[in-house]
Amino acid sequence: MTVAELAAGCGFEVLCLPEPEREVDGVYIGDLLSWVMGRARQDNAWITIMSNVNVIAVGTLSDVSCILFAEGVLPEADIIETAKAKGVNLLVTPMPAYEAAIKLHEAL
Amino acid sequence: MKELSLNILDIAENSMKAGATLTEIIIIESSLELSITVKDDGCGMSEDILRSVTDPFYTTRTTRSVGLGIPLLKMAAEMTGGRVELHSVVDDGKTDAHGTTITAYFYKNHIDFTPLGDVISSITTLIQGHPDTDILFSHVTEYGEVGLDTRELREALEGVPLDTYEVIKWIEGYLEEQYSEINYKK
Repeated sequence: MTVAELAAGCGFEVLCLPEPEREVDGVYIGDLLSWVMGRARQDNAWITIMSNVNVIAVGTLSDVSCILFAEGVLPEADIIETAKAKGVNLLVTPMPAYEAAIKLHEAL
Repeated sequence: MKELSLNILDIAENSMKAGATLTEIIIIESSLELSITVKDDGCGMSEDILRSVTDPFYTTRTTRSVGLGIPLLKMAAEMTGGRVELHSVVDDGKTDAHGTTITAYFYKNHIDFTPLGDVISSITTLIQGHPDTDILFSHVTEYGEVGLDTRELREALEGVPLDTYEVIKWIEGYLEEQYSEINYKK
């Protein structure tokens, strides 16, 4: 399933979708960035509540298919611009991480 | 990072890459605050580079386009209400006062304060990886001070390399002993 299909299917709001056709494979949840860096796998959908620019950097490094901000956390506009430029898909949902993960599990 | 000591290791590695001959690692701790300073006499950074090092998409590495050492330290400090200060003087061949100093300030009582962790292992890892450069380590607390100066050690060792197994083990024990004295007073 692609990120664009996933966003539509789960009702996640799109913040930016520079690579809508990326396939989603699995889910990773975590907020301690150095921890996520070594553990999130390529093509995972990564759920987090952190929203600074380092999150985009970790998204690039671990090559996740998208970052899903849980609990309605919204990054600043310039961070969304950085994500666009670096080809990182950003989604947001008001759901807590657990519920968002269940949604993803049902969809994938 | 799960422990600030890993941040320290990461930042000190930058000093080694900058060609430092002496790297000072100084931790100053009171009941409320903790500061970490890494000061080197390496090649230094220009104003432009200095401004960009807190940007995670800046790096001196060539293998990837993202460098997270300083951005993660800054984040860890700011999460507690603290900050990071950076000063650098570029080596222009005219001054000996070149090098970079980075200081991170933390508020220990903040719920998001990252524990300092295993500093001893960071120091010995650093010495093991770079036995030919010098490290001055100092951890000042209300209860006393822990310290190590590899320049003094080198003199006493008369040519025995610092990365010799027995030397590393000795450093470990030396620091452990000093820490246990402080912990005893606590």
